[in-house]
Amino acid sequence: MEETDQRPPLVVCDAGPLIHLDEVGCLDLLADFPVVLVPGEVWREAQRHRPSVLVQSVVTLRQLTSTRPVPPALAAMARLLSLHAGEMEALRVALEHDPALLLTDDTAARLAARNLLIRAHGTLGILLRAIRRGQRSKDELIEVLRELPKKSTLHLKRSLLDDVIREAERLP
Amino acid sequence: MNNTLIEAELPTELAAQAQAFVAAGWATDFNDLLAEALRRFLESHEASVTESFIKDDIEWGLHGRD
Repeated sequence: MEETDQRPPLVVCDAGPLIHLDEVGCLDLLADFPVVLVPGEVWREAQRHRPSVLVQSVVTLRQLTSTRPVPPALAAMARLLSLHAGEMEALRVALEHDPALLLTDDTAARLAARNLLIRAHGTLGILLRAIRRGQRSKDELIEVLRELPKKSTLHLKRSLLDDVIREAERLP
Repeated sequence: MNNTLIEAELPTELAAQAQAFVAAGWATDFNDLLAEALRRFLESHEASVTESFIKDDIEWGLHGRD
């Protein structure tokens, strides 16, 4: 989907963004999207690692499982990039709901998405978008970013996080 | 090739799966399997690629339209 379309897209979530957004108290940011699809395998990962994500009331998560065969291009990509079952199912559901936006923090899954022409972004994108969409003030969001290494299991190089914070601070 | 001895804790279920994989003959031994798994992970998570995705997130997050 072209990013010139201003309507929030349907999103398909991998486990990473669900867990990381919840860790920093920002799961509600997903409520800005019309539908948040959570593939069955991702749902099970969330149940194992952060079950609270699935019982909250700030955003409606729709669990679904693909019943169609895995497209050959995706199967090849999954082998090449050693994708986990959850990542593969998220990509598969995103393909089936084109032009969905895939949310994943896994580099390999994002590489696969790029090759499969699926738009993908991660937790940081959703957090920064919250300023643009008026879901958080700039100051509130910068505080979330500063607390990220302490509160979240999202692994990010310190210098890169500092760059992200600087970019946010530059906003009017 | 020089080797380094490391000590690591693995989830029990994952370790059992890896041991079964080795026992079935799909890898020479547990060390080889771990080294191959690490190599594949590092290849598919190259830092420069990760950084480029973070930059995409910044651009979309702050200046996207949707």
